Amino acid sequence: MNLAIRDVRRHLPRFVGTAAGLGLLLTVVIAMQGIYAGMVDDATILTRAMRADLWVVQKDTRGPFAESSRLDPSVEARASAVPGVRSARPYTYQLIQRERGGAVMRIALVGLGWPDDPGSSLPLVRGRLLAQPHGEMIVDASLGLGIGESLVLAGERYRVVGLTANALTSGGDSVAFLSVADTQLVAFDQPAEAVVLERARIVERLRRTDLGRGQPALEELATDPRWRAPSLASPPVAAVLIAADPHRVAEVRRTMRSWGDVSVYTQAEEEALLLGGVVERARMQIGLFSVILTLTAGVIVMMVMYNLTLEKTHDLAVLKLMGAPRLRLLGMVLQQAWLLGALGYALAYVLGELAYPMFPRRVLITTTLAWAAPLATFVVVTLASMLGVSHVMRVDPARALEG
Amino acid sequence: MAEAVRAVGLTKTYVTGTTSVVALDDVSITLASGTVAALLGPSGSGKSTLIKALGFVSPADRGEVLFEGRSVVKDGTALADLSELRRRHLGFVFQKANLTSFLTARENVEIACELGGKGDGRRRARELLAYLDVAGRERSYPEMLSGGEQQRVAIARALANEPSLILADEPTAALDSVRSRTVMELFRKVAHERGAAVLVVTHDHRALDVFDVLYEMEDGRIRPATAAGGARR
Ligand SMILES: Nc1ncnc2c1ncn2[C@@H]1O[C@H](COP(=O)(O)OP(=O)(O)OP(=O)(O)O)[C@@H](O)[C@H]1O
Ligand SMILES: [Mg+2]
Repeated sequence: MNLAIRDVRRHLPRFVGTAAGLGLLLTVVIAMQGIYAGMVDDATILTRAMRADLWVVQKDTRGPFAESSRLDPSVEARASAVPGVRSARPYTYQLIQRERGGAVMRIALVGLGWPDDPGSSLPLVRGRLLAQPHGEMIVDASLGLGIGESLVLAGERYRVVGLTANALTSGGDSVAFLSVADTQLVAFDQPAEAVVLERARIVERLRRTDLGRGQPALEELATDPRWRAPSLASPPVAAVLIAADPHRVAEVRRTMRSWGDVSVYTQAEEEALLLGGVVERARMQIGLFSVILTLTAGVIVMMVMYNLTLEKTHDLAVLKLMGAPRLRLLGMVLQQAWLLGALGYALAYVLGELAYPMFPRRVLITTTLAWAAPLATFVVVTLASMLGVSHVMRVDPARALEG
Repeated sequence: MAEAVRAVGLTKTYVTGTTSVVALDDVSITLASGTVAALLGPSGSGKSTLIKALGFVSPADRGEVLFEGRSVVKDGTALADLSELRRRHLGFVFQKANLTSFLTARENVEIACELGGKGDGRRRARELLAYLDVAGRERSYPEMLSGGEQQRVAIARALANEPSLILADEPTAALDSVRSRTVMELFRKVAHERGAAVLVVTHDHRALDVFDVLYEMEDGRIRPATAAGGARR
């Protein structure tokens, strides 16, 4: 006769209630662990997606994510010439916020070094890479835009041609990938009024000089938008990404460090800048909280299981007095604990599958978490029941019967 | 008649802190198969302690207990597997029925059959419940049964493994006198029809005529009793 099943049957509502409570508790704990893992992963996912060996940024900055970095575009050409460098591509990074259909959309615009990099390293899930240098973008699916939809930025229309999964910034904002030139258009866009004012200022300045007064034709030249003085720099980039021969990365890095205008970070260092700086406090906060929550849940589950066992003291004592072998009684308690744990975990799993995708930020169930959660549940319920049983077994059956 | 259990020179002292209580003081008793014996005596005289020693639940400090002629406990040391012995050959009935709360009346008896190694527990459980006149309640859980019904199920359970020794500690304390007498008569019936040795602790002097033998305890000592109206039949 299976005693565990019969006990469950007798106290079915209570058993189901306990399993449900356990399941909800597990859901919360797993969610918290998943939020932490998601956050750490999100923080570095963008740097990893770029698949760079080295990040070249403005001298003495921790750019381009931890702080802004402005790099002369000539760095790209200079870097390409360094022995050991396979490719160098420009990179820009900039956050914008727009409203669309009443909802706030925060977008990180990332510039890809077209034509060398049409987005080949990105985690594309649908659509295609950039096929032309202007007017196309690849966006993260989390933005809610579909392929073929478009977004107007700085007066220009950009069409979505591809979707990525989980391309997010450390702040959890979705990323849109455009060509570097397009991101610069957005970044340095000036409203008509500003252009008119600037033109007037140039003419004003020119008229105060002898040269301007002597050569009125210069006025036309200076204000013609098609003409740029060759001495003016083209817009800066945030970083230059280097792919180098694997065994020459250190050498390339040494060479570039000697340049006066750049700092060079490896991929790992760039990730450390993000984890140790940008998201450090949030990460510590959530990490600490998830540890506390996990411990609390562990203690609660322990106490619940322990008390469930203690409640059976009398019944177990009677069975023991009747000569039921110790293993049989332990088996009964353990089977019940495992059933409870399994039901609770199954519920947590189903709830998680349904609920986690609806969380505003990613809940990442890592493979470690996927096996550690059920294992931990199993260990905790087993330990607690065994503790309970050992306590019950020490009770003199004769004493228990008198009470 | 054959002896079921024999105790020789049982002595037990409970020590709590600085005080020590001699609960059994050189107690010797023999219970014969097929007889029902009553154990009388004032509160605290050591009756329950003796039941526990004879039932191999908590052994005495000194003295020997022989079960069917075989020495099983000597000076507090077990010479056999006591829980196996309880499972196969002993039946217990207590003041409260102490049925397993999550098992139905029938299952309570069935689990005892199973533990006692008796095949086809279900059929046997039905028969025993019928024998004790509670066949109609076999699907009920203990809390749905009256005190008397619970006690009868408990006796059925005590009989499940065909015990050679049944020990009952104040089995009728919670029952009115009519039911109490019915239960006592059941013990007598079990002893006489099934050949078990039965020892019943009781305070109820109105039903003493049911018993074959009477013992009385006082301050841990035992002696045969001749209670008023306790005539043998
Ligand atoms: N576990 C124990 N620890 C300490 N003393 C105990 C213990 N069990 C019994 N005693 C003492 O041993 C003595 C005999 O107790 P026992 O329970 O055998 O009496 P009893 O005859 O069954 O009494 P009652 O009729 O009240 O049930 C009492 O003085 C009691 O206080
Ligand atoms: Mg007693």
